[in-house]
Amino acid sequence: MRFHVVKRDNWPLWKRAVAYLIAVVAALLIGAVILLAIGVNPIDYYYQLFTMGTVGNRFAYKTFMNYIKEFLPLALTSVALSLAFKMKFWNIGGEGQFIMGSISATYIALTLGQTLPMWLTLIVMCVVAMLVAGLYGLLAGFLKVKFGTNETLMTLMLNYIALYLLYFIGETKASWNIFLQESSMRPVFVNFSKFVSFPSIKMGGKFELNICVILTAIIGVLIYIYLKRTKHGYEISVIGDSVGTAKYAGMKTNKIVLRTAFISAALIGLAASFKVGSAGVLSTAITDDVGWTGVIVAWLAQLNTGMIFVVSALICVLQFGSTVAATTYAQVDSSFANMLQGIILFLVLAADFFIRFRIVRVKKGE
Amino acid sequence: MAEQYAIEMRGITKTFGSVVANKGVNLNVKNGEILALLGENGSGKTTLMNMLSGIYTPDSGSIHINGSEVKIDSPEDSKKLGIGMVHQHFKLVDVFSAADNIWMGKEKSGFVLKKKRYSEIDSIIKRFGFELDPEKKVYNMSVSEKQTLEIIKVLYYGAKIIILDEPTAVLTVQEIEKLFNVLRRMKEQGHAIIIITHKLNEVMDISDRVAIMRKGEYITTVNTQETNEQELTELMVGRKIDLNIDRPVVETTRPLLEVRNLTIKNDEGAVAIDNVSFYIRGGEILGVAGIAGCGQKELCESIAGLRPIQSGQMIHKGDNIVGLPPKAILEKGISMSFIPEDRLGMGLAPSMSIIDNMLLKNYRDSKGPMVDRKRGRADAEQVIADLAVATPSPETPVRRLSGGNVQKVLLGREIKAGPNVLITAYPVRGLDINSSYMIYDILNKQKVDGVGILFVGEDLDVMISLCDKILVLCHGKVMGVVHAHKTNKEELGLMMTGALDLSEKYADKPAGIARDTLFGENNNGQEG
Repeated sequence: MRFHVVKRDNWPLWKRAVAYLIAVVAALLIGAVILLAIGVNPIDYYYQLFTMGTVGNRFAYKTFMNYIKEFLPLALTSVALSLAFKMKFWNIGGEGQFIMGSISATYIALTLGQTLPMWLTLIVMCVVAMLVAGLYGLLAGFLKVKFGTNETLMTLMLNYIALYLLYFIGETKASWNIFLQESSMRPVFVNFSKFVSFPSIKMGGKFELNICVILTAIIGVLIYIYLKRTKHGYEISVIGDSVGTAKYAGMKTNKIVLRTAFISAALIGLAASFKVGSAGVLSTAITDDVGWTGVIVAWLAQLNTGMIFVVSALICVLQFGSTVAATTYAQVDSSFANMLQGIILFLVLAADFFIRFRIVRVKKGE
Repeated sequence: MAEQYAIEMRGITKTFGSVVANKGVNLNVKNGEILALLGENGSGKTTLMNMLSGIYTPDSGSIHINGSEVKIDSPEDSKKLGIGMVHQHFKLVDVFSAADNIWMGKEKSGFVLKKKRYSEIDSIIKRFGFELDPEKKVYNMSVSEKQTLEIIKVLYYGAKIIILDEPTAVLTVQEIEKLFNVLRRMKEQGHAIIIITHKLNEVMDISDRVAIMRKGEYITTVNTQETNEQELTELMVGRKIDLNIDRPVVETTRPLLEVRNLTIKNDEGAVAIDNVSFYIRGGEILGVAGIAGCGQKELCESIAGLRPIQSGQMIHKGDNIVGLPPKAILEKGISMSFIPEDRLGMGLAPSMSIIDNMLLKNYRDSKGPMVDRKRGRADAEQVIADLAVATPSPETPVRRLSGGNVQKVLLGREIKAGPNVLITAYPVRGLDINSSYMIYDILNKQKVDGVGILFVGEDLDVMISLCDKILVLCHGKVMGVVHAHKTNKEELGLMMTGALDLSEKYADKPAGIARDTLFGENNNGQEG
């Protein structure tokens, strides 16, 4: 018996949705098998994970607020990355750009936070973080345009430079280092949440909606319009499709590549200042791997801005839920979420294959 | 069984998704016979042949070789059965010699490169009357030598049934004659040959029988001696068609675009265009003939401002255009459309819609930061209606369209911009007769409207009937500018290979320089 692969015509949307759903369910089943093997009831565990422990919890609103804090940077970073990916500029330097944004936002908070009014400090934080992260991303773009270097490699390496700069700041006690607490003997980052923090809007009850949620939603809509409707977005699509055609149409491709690389990285810098401004303290794990996870999110959402928000919300449920579930199930580490995420990505890609192709049995001569 | 066929295909059906590429096709070839396989683009010729060479397997139907049924599941199976295919795109290792390219594909050739491989392969070359040095490296070979090598390769592997997929597309007239002589010799030695082509004169010249396909279906097989070009066309297209290309007589204007002493380098830094001069008047079509890679692409790119020039001048209506950015050149009304080999590479964004592709050159014109898709949609709808583009909707990505429709979209957009100089390279590349004639009509309409057209083409017959004058290039040098109605294919062929140089035919009038030049009328164009 032999099989061969045949290209499929366009499947209706619902069939595609079902295919992806099956992939996710299959991933959860594989996870369940692993859970059973270590003696955990998968139904109970998944219940904990997906409800993030909110059901019957007096502090559910707090859980949800914490969840939002994880969701925002991821969503914004993924949107920013999709901008570059659409142009086939493989910016995998989200981590480095996020770190550079965090360091500069923290610096502003520490130096200006006690003199300027808070709203002004926050604006300056955002602007400076965007500039610094944007320039960091621009560096890879510049090297690509000027010397034809590979941006994947460059952004990847710049990640490590940023990461070790952060470690250096975090571990070096010195008189110049304003990032660390003077009073502490051990190196501890200064907490500035008392005087600089993004305001929240009371939403009735104890639930508070952070202003960053609104800002991120607005930026999401703006980026959607930017990509779909503006001349800049049009140029990005053409370059992503064919650089030759873009040049032929008289586009200044180098300028557009630099501009887009900058905007992409600057938005990641903004995500970083949201994160720092909400946490009120720098940390060596400030990124929460959003630069990496963002790449996965952008691809799973197929660079569709709306879908990015949906996918990052779901990924965050996995990640945040697993930390919550880990408090009940000590034997399941929160890394379980990362593993599950890997299986899901793998199976969704498989589903993608079946959406595009079908396998038919070769019939014997009739 | 009345007659023994070297190869016989019965009721072959092959589908790709919902597309039926071949439907119940019957085909047979005898030993010592040349069969021409004729059909328009997308009629399923190559698919059918790929099933013989083991690249595809048929969904249903059977293949018989010398009377017995066989299964061809892979290219190896095909090779063992004595079937050899020469593809349109050569599969050779550039840094190897001719002999080594053949040697490396041979089973049981061992680890040691033996000296005798050269003499062994040389004997095959002699037997069939090829001209090729077995020690020559592939990167030093011309296109025709590479093709010869591909043919020798399949012969060396012992192929008795040889399939050639559009072998003449890349050759000059003289080279085609040579190839045909070789094919005739192979036929005398008892090989069965299938040749895919859509050039009717070649079919009449070389084949014994012609099998005709239309839209995946087998139509009929006719004896070449009992048919003619007109009948073949009708069988292929399915209805009567006029094979004459119009050449309307139009009053020409003073030169619109003048190029003088132009020298351009290619991507590798070698001289691609060497001291070339020519001019185009409004209301004329100037053909550019030359072997593939003789600098046509570099010339088109330079005029459009996409490639820097080394020296020389380009004057448009008396204004210098050297050094202007592509956008400024567009605004002057010089439009360039180049159809590369892959047909999508330059000028179109394949995964974007027809609407978006219409906007490519004028998206900047709308006010504000937004793209004006309403205008794009109007343009797209008009081009679809005017040029009869077959598409489900204006939103369809260009890459989903068939070749002819892609080219119509591209040309339609260029014409929509209302250019006064239209540079078009290979506009009918790979198109079938119907679509090609449609494109010729479009070009002629532009010519009547007073547009100056530079037509870079491949098919000399077409150029002789369509163009007013033909500029012949050989290795980047001008071999002369001839009047199309005064020349013939043989003369052009000799000029293309550099055997005939007419550039200094008239001492008083160097080729490519107009007497009523606009050079130097404005201060911008300095005298060269």
